[in-house]
Formats: sequence, structure tokens, C-alpha cells
Amino acid sequence: MASSYNAKEEDGQLSGAAGSGGVGAGKSKKPDNTAFKQQRLPAWQPILTAGTVLPAFFVIGLIFIPIGIGLFVTSNNIKEFEIDYTGIDPASECYNCSQTLTWNSTKPCICKVPFTLEQSFESDVFMYYGLSNFYQNHRRYVKSRDDSQLNGDTSSLTSPSKECEPYRTSDNKPIAPCGAIANSLFNDTLTLYYINPNGTESLVPLIKKGIAWWTDKNVKFRNPGGSNFNLTAVFQGNSKPVNWRKPVYELDTDPENNGFINEDFIVWMRTAALPTFRKLYRLIEKKNNMIPTLQRGNYTLEITYNYPVRRFDGRKRMILSTISWMGGKNPFLGIAYITVGSVCFFLGVVLLIIHQKYGNRNNSAEIPN
Amino acid sequence: MGRPATYQLLSILDFNNIRKRMSVIVRNPEGRIRLYCKGADTLLFERLHPCNQDLMNITTDHLNEYAGDGLRTLLLAYKDLEESEYEAWSERLQRASKAVDCREERLAAVYEEIEQDMMLLGATAIEDKLQEGVPETIAILTLANIKIWVLTGDKQETAVNIGYSCKMLTDDMTEVFFVTGRTVHEVREELRKAREKMMDSTRTLGNGFPYQQEKLDPPKGSSVLEAIPGEYAVCVCVCLQAHALEADMELEFLETACACKAVICCRVTPLQKAQVVELVKKYKRAVTLAIGDGANDVSMIKTAHIGVGISGQEGIQAVLASDYTFSQFKSLQRLLLVHGRWSYLRMCKFLCYFFYKNFAFTMVHFWFGFFCGFSAQTVYDQYFITLYNIVYTSLPVLAMGIFDQDVPEQRSLEYPKLYEPGQLNLLFNKREFFICIAQGIYTSVVLFFVSYGVFADDVTQLADYQSFAVTVATSLVIVVSVQIALDTGYWTAINHFFIWGSVAMYFAIMFAMHSDGLFNIFPNQFTFVGNAQNTLAQPAVWFTILLSTVVCIVPVVTFRFLKLDLKPQLSDTVRYTQLVRKKQKPQGRRLRIVGRTGSRRTGYAFSHQEGFGELITSGKNMRLSSLALSSFTGRSSASWIDTLRKKRGTESPAAQQVSAGASPQGAEASQVSGGVPLEAPETGVTGLAGGASAPGPASITEECAVKE
Repeated sequence: MASSYNAKEEDGQLSGAAGSGGVGAGKSKKPDNTAFKQQRLPAWQPILTAGTVLPAFFVIGLIFIPIGIGLFVTSNNIKEFEIDYTGIDPASECYNCSQTLTWNSTKPCICKVPFTLEQSFESDVFMYYGLSNFYQNHRRYVKSRDDSQLNGDTSSLTSPSKECEPYRTSDNKPIAPCGAIANSLFNDTLTLYYINPNGTESLVPLIKKGIAWWTDKNVKFRNPGGSNFNLTAVFQGNSKPVNWRKPVYELDTDPENNGFINEDFIVWMRTAALPTFRKLYRLIEKKNNMIPTLQRGNYTLEITYNYPVRRFDGRKRMILSTISWMGGKNPFLGIAYITVGSVCFFLGVVLLIIHQKYGNRNNSAEIPN
Repeated sequence: MGRPATYQLLSILDFNNIRKRMSVIVRNPEGRIRLYCKGADTLLFERLHPCNQDLMNITTDHLNEYAGDGLRTLLLAYKDLEESEYEAWSERLQRASKAVDCREERLAAVYEEIEQDMMLLGATAIEDKLQEGVPETIAILTLANIKIWVLTGDKQETAVNIGYSCKMLTDDMTEVFFVTGRTVHEVREELRKAREKMMDSTRTLGNGFPYQQEKLDPPKGSSVLEAIPGEYAVCVCVCLQAHALEADMELEFLETACACKAVICCRVTPLQKAQVVELVKKYKRAVTLAIGDGANDVSMIKTAHIGVGISGQEGIQAVLASDYTFSQFKSLQRLLLVHGRWSYLRMCKFLCYFFYKNFAFTMVHFWFGFFCGFSAQTVYDQYFITLYNIVYTSLPVLAMGIFDQDVPEQRSLEYPKLYEPGQLNLLFNKREFFICIAQGIYTSVVLFFVSYGVFADDVTQLADYQSFAVTVATSLVIVVSVQIALDTGYWTAINHFFIWGSVAMYFAIMFAMHSDGLFNIFPNQFTFVGNAQNTLAQPAVWFTILLSTVVCIVPVVTFRFLKLDLKPQLSDTVRYTQLVRKKQKPQGRRLRIVGRTGSRRTGYAFSHQEGFGELITSGKNMRLSSLALSSFTGRSSASWIDTLRKKRGTESPAAQQVSAGASPQGAEASQVSGGVPLEAPETGVTGLAGGASAPGPASITEECAVKE
């Protein structure tokens, strides 16, 4: 090893001395004799050998399969109930509403969908609405919003970003909140009734706060002029989005959930990644340990049918689901982990056999040249 | 004798390579004018006075003897001039040197006038010292499948002997052909004969003959001559007429030459050197390297793909014209086998990885297009797109491109066959390119669809676009980092720093970009606020990332392992052996280093090594004895002799593999052409900073025979 380094040293020296040519003669171009410049930094040289690869495969297999089983079981323990209330089928309850719905109809159309829970939901239940074939991830849709307006910036309130076009102004007044996302806010109202065995309906209490991320609620979305301001006055110079029935300051009566910081609005503004998505709508909290959150039995879902989806072949769903530490029901991860783990284990076995049978195990003996 | 005499210099009749001689006209202390001339024997003999005939015959014998010993010869002559004669000539010289047009020719004519009827003074023979390490370098380069042609301006005898002394020609060779014809016909005839002989031996030896080991050129098809068994050398005396380089003959010449193991062209002018290189470039699709030290090598150095100048006593023209410069010919083996090899390896790995990571990055958008109405919505955050190539993934691959080594330098000198993948274009070709692309596409598919699987099924509030962006981007950065970790074969501290640093940098920058502070300043620019902490707090996201990584990497590891296990390349085997050796005797190396601090300087390649000096002066050819050679090479590289010997035997399986699996696009062999650098005979000083490893006394000898 040393011999080669010496040779290198001299090369540098000589080319520095003789080869300098036009360059200043005094300046040696000899590179420093450091490990860095001479390319002999100490290094770890890992090699894929049977001793490392095969155990790695087995270990991956042995780790992945239990994880997968765990995920699968967790996912299977989650109770989920889903109901489509679009009203495509003439026999369905919301058929009339879906047919008669027009943009400017002032009279709300209400339909009631009965359903039965076969199992009781023991823990906290999340209520979602789901939309299909709704491309909330379309590029022009995604950017059609003004985040500084939503953050409470008053100048953006009076002149929203150009990105909001064509939902930037209406009636010569700037729209608040502007843009296509806000304009298409999901505005069905879902109410849940439990039908007692004696036939009476009792309202299932739905909590509408705590469904948005903390950062969204407190950082990203802010009402203009602070929290204890009169929202009606703040939004005086703005018009409501064209598709909305009521202005933004009337979304809720609770001042902590009104205006831009309305959580339904915030959830909607967090656009979905895929054309079929679900968004958290309400929480149903477990009251005490004796009674399940939702006991098995008959329920009625009352829908104030405002949101038209028929034009783009969309579907609307309501989903009830419990959650685990992993989140919602998701069999994919569990199955994928079990599959990958098994494949790895199997590959390990196959590679071991190949290695034993055909492997080049004597390559340390002789190097062919 | 013994006291200084002053001569007055009257004029210098300068040297050029057509005249091949040089004269001075001086006035000696007695006042007589005399012309002294030195030059090439052939030209000077023509200009001698006929009365020198006897002396000429004796001198010719001596000259042949000297040339046979590999010495460089010069003839010296003088001529007494009358004052008037000189006056008249000097006037003509004046006129010629004032001429406006064709001054060179006129001057030459005037010189010619006076350089007639000279008296022979004698001959000098100067030993041309080979630089240290030349034979070893040539042997190693030959083993590395590099064909070496020597192009020299020397006499044929001198060239042949240099060829022997630097082991280009050996006694093992079946035959050495000399092509010395002076006319087109003769040359053609000689070339034809040479080829016929080689063809004959092909037929007689057949395939089973054990001698059939020399694969000179990786198979190129077309010519039968490529598969010639046995070792041949062709020595072409190009002469002034350069018949061998004429258009109708050049192919014949080239084919004959390429079928031979060694090619020496002597009496080559600088222009012809360039022509020979051009010829090889034109027909052989080979990469050419020209190495030389003198001004007469400049044209050749410029013509070749790679020009290497040897800086030494012969001026810096060659150095200035070259791409690489060093002072010792033996550095060529390090340039090609160590640095050239590493450089090729690094470039190929670098390129492959670059294509891979960009395909993995970009193709995700294609898959996403199916789910976003082909609206060109990006999967990632805009800042991720900006920084991905310049921050998150650039430094690890740069570090690999700078530091990666598959085998250590001493191993690549030990096993010259390691050089072959570069010649066969194995590490980066269309196939490798498409493999990289395919791997990139596969990665993008996995990244997108694993995340899709998780997000489509929905986990609580995770279904939003921004979380999807963060999940895919994080998986991508981790997957390509693991991939570069797999690709990096030589983990220096810098590699560690860059690879870990890149991943850390990714998270740091992401958290900064998604922080409240930045959002409050530019709410429209940093819309991902709070996304990193919310998304990465979900265990499902980490399970997604882990799954993507494993699914992306496992096939790669599987294929690489199978390749290593079932069809290891030579470099893999060498690496593996290295690993085993390291484990077995960890302190063997240290001892070696201690032993190598001895002599750093020996001026001569031979002449005081036992056997060699004698062999050269005795005019006999040297048989390559590994014992003598090993005394040259020093301890460290002694093992290549073994490889040399092994090669002499039967062709090893690995070598067969390489030639059998030769690249589909036609293999190319690098060729090195160039004059064997000789230390300048005129100076008699070895000067150069000395050899590195070869032990031996550092003394200077010069054999100089002057005959009066």
C-alpha cells in the first residue's frame, strides 16, 4: 500500500514542478498528502454476503408478519358502518331530494334514512361524510384559495388573491372566503336518531368541535380582527360565496366555531388526496362505561339534503366508525405487512437453498485472473 | 589534452527531423575552419568522402553491434574548410536566410552543399535507460487487455531491443515479423506473408492446443485474424515513405498488427505517429491513449482520445499538449488501473443512481395523474420539489462519486483483469440504463400505491392531500437514501455524514417549512403549516414508510445477492477475499508498510539488476523470468507475477466468462501507443525524483562508447 502512495506523491511533486508550464513556477500543484486528498480515508466496506442478507430477510419476515397480524387484528376490531344516502335508486329515501334539488331552492329538502346497527359501538365513535368521484385534488381546485385571507389578513379580505378566480368577487364585493374550495363547501346536515325499542326517537348527541387539527384551528385559520370581534361587522364589505346559503359569519352560533374557524369549514378546506374520500363530520363521545356509545338497534339518519352530486356522478355516504391507536379501519396495511413479511421469509428460504446448492462459497480460495 | 582550447563558433547548421543531422562550423585555435557534423548513420554515410570506405565498413559493424545492444547511435564526421570556400558559402547562407519564400528549403539546400565529402570521425553509442518500472507496467497493462503499440523514431534494431528490454517482445513469442519493405509491393508482400503464417498456425494448432490462451482483442467478429493462437509480434519499419499507412494498405496493416501481441513501429515521424493513432481510432472503435515525453509525440498525444505527457528532460511540449502528466511511465498503471478504473466505476454508479432517483421522484406524478383528473397536480409540496435534487439527495451521491472504491488500489494493480469491465462497457450501457429506469419506475409505483392503499382506505383524518404529500415525500427520501447506502461500497466518514445528514436535513427543513413562524410571515407560501407534526405523529404513516422502504429495497437486495452469489464479478471476489483476509490476519499489513521505507531512488530500470544489464549488452534476448522480474517489483506487487504465470497456463474460468459474455455492442480494447519513454541520453542524469518501491542501489551508470 505504501509503495503506491509514494508513487502518487511523486507524481504530484513532479507534475507540479515540471508541468506547471504557464502557471507561476513557485506554486506547487502537488496535492497535500492527506488521507482525504489521496483517497485513503478509512472506510467501512460492506458486502452483501449470505451471512448478512439471509438473516436480514428472515428478520424482516419475522418482524413484519407479527406487525401485520397486529395491524390486521386492530383493523378488524374497529367497527364501521357505512350508508350511501345519495338517492340514486328511485326506491331510496333521498331520491326525491336528489331530483328536486336546485341551487337556489330556499326550502330545505329533508330525507330520513333508517338503518340498523348489528353491533353496538363501544368506544368513541367518529361520524364521517364521504364523497366519491369528487376531485378535490384537481390542480386548479387545490390552489383556488387564499390562505392569508383565511388567516385573518384584513387586506386579503378586501382584495382576495387572484388564485381565487372566478370565485373572487360577486356583486362587486370580494368574496369571503374566496375560491372554489370554499365555494363548494359541503353543506348537508346530518342528524342521528336512535329509535328506542319502544318506538320513540332520541337524538344522538353529536359534538362538532375537536374534529380539526389544532394547528389548523389555531394557526392556519383565524378570523379577521381577532376572536372577540363582531364578525358580522368584519365581513360587512364582503359577499358570501355564490353557492352558499348563508354568509360565513353565520356558520355557527358559537363564536369559537364561527367564521373562518368553523371546524366543518376547516375540515373541508383541507383538501382530500384522492377523488374518493371521507371527512370527519362529528364526534360521538362515550358517556359512561355502562352504556355503549351506540347500542345495537335501529337508527334514523336525518339529512338536510343540500349538496348536489348527481351532476358529476358523485356519491354521498355517511360513515360511523370507532378508531384505534392506528386510526380508522384499514385492512390494507395489515394484509400488506403479512404479505411482505411472508414473501421476505420465503425469499430467505429460497435464497438459502440457492446459496447452499449453487452458491459461490469457495470464492475466498482462489481468485481467477 | 588536459588544457582548455577555445573554438570560435561560426555558424550552426541546425537539426530538423528531415535532415536528421546537425553541424557546427568552428574556427579552431590554429585558425583553421572546420565543420563538425553529427547525425543519423544512414544520412551521414551518404555524405562521407569515398576515401572513408574502410573505416565506414568497420564503423557499420560497430554500429550494428551497438544498435543490437539497444544503444542509441550517432555518427560523427568533420570536414576542413578553406577560408574562401567558407566565405562564399556563408554569403549564400546569408542570402538564403534572407529569402522571403521557401526559406526553410533554401537553407536546407545551402546546408546540404557544405555537408558533403566529410571525413568520418567515429560513432557514439549511448545507452538509453528505460525508466524504472517500464517492463512491469507494460506487462500489467497487457494483462489488463490493453494493447500496446510502440511508435518510435529509432532505428529498427534499437527499437526491437527496447522492445525486448521492456518485455514487449519475449522469446516466448512464436515469431516476430519485420515489415521493412521500401516499396509498396514489398510492404504488401510482407504483410501478406505475416498473416499467412498466422493463419497457418491457426489451422495446425487447432482449438484444443493449450497455447490458445491469448485473447488479444475482445472478440469483434469480422476478422479471422482476431482468433490467432500464439504470440506474434510485428515490427514495422515505417520509413519515410510510410507505405504501410497509405490508404489502400492501412487496413491490411491494421489487421495484421491487431492480430499480433506486440507492435513496434520504428523510424516513425511525428506526423506518422498521429496517423497510426488515427488509423486505430478510425477502424477499431477502440479508446486510444498516447503517452510520450518529447515534442515529437505532441501530434500523437493530441490525436489520441487520451493524451499523456511525461514530464522529464525533453521539454514540456508533450506535457502542455497532454490531458494527464506525470514524470514516470510506470505511473500509467496507476492512472489506468487505479484511478481510471475508480473513475469509471464512480461515474457509472453516479449516473445510474441519478437516473434512478429522478425517475423514482418524477414518475409518482404520473401515477397520481390517474387520480387527480390528469390536472398536473404535484404530489409533493413545492419546496420539496425544489430541494429534492439539490439538498435532500445530492450530497450522498456526490460523496459516492468522489470516494467510492470497489477494491483497494493495490488489489486493482494486482488483478489487472479488473480493468476489463470498463473496456467492455459493462457498468453503464443501454441495459444498465434501462435497469436503472425500471428500478426508478418500480420505486415510484411502490411509493405511490402503498400510500394510495393506506389513504384510500382512510385512517381517521389522514385522507388529505397534504398528509399524502408528506407521506410520499418522506418515503421517497428514505428509500433513495437506503438505496444510496446500498450503492455506496466505501463508507468513509464523509459518506456517513452526507447520508445521515441528508435524511436529517430533510426532516429539519420539513419541520421548518411546516412551522407556525414561517406561516405567520408568509401565509400564502407556506400552506403546509402544522402538517409535518400532525402527519408524522400518526403511526400509520410510519408503517407506510417502513412498508414502502422494504418493498422497494428487498428486490434490489435479492437481485444483487443472487448476482454476487451465483455470478460474482472479479471485483466482487476480490472484495470478498479482502474481507476474509482482513479478518484472518489483521496485522499483516502494518508489517509491510514498515518494510517499505527503504530505497526511494533508483535511476535505472536495468543495468545493475543481476542478469539484465548483461543480457542487454550481450545482445541476447531476455527470457521473462519471474524471478528476475520479482526482484524488480518489490514485495508489494510480487503477486502479479503469479497472475502472469497463471495466465500463461490455462485460461481461468473468470477470464473465459468475460470474453464469452462480451458486450453485445462489440467489445473494445483500449490501446496504448507511444514511445517507450527513455530518459534523455544526452543528460546522463537520472534526475527525476526517483522510484518508489523498487529496492536497489541508487547509482548512475552510463555506457558510452566513442570510437575514434
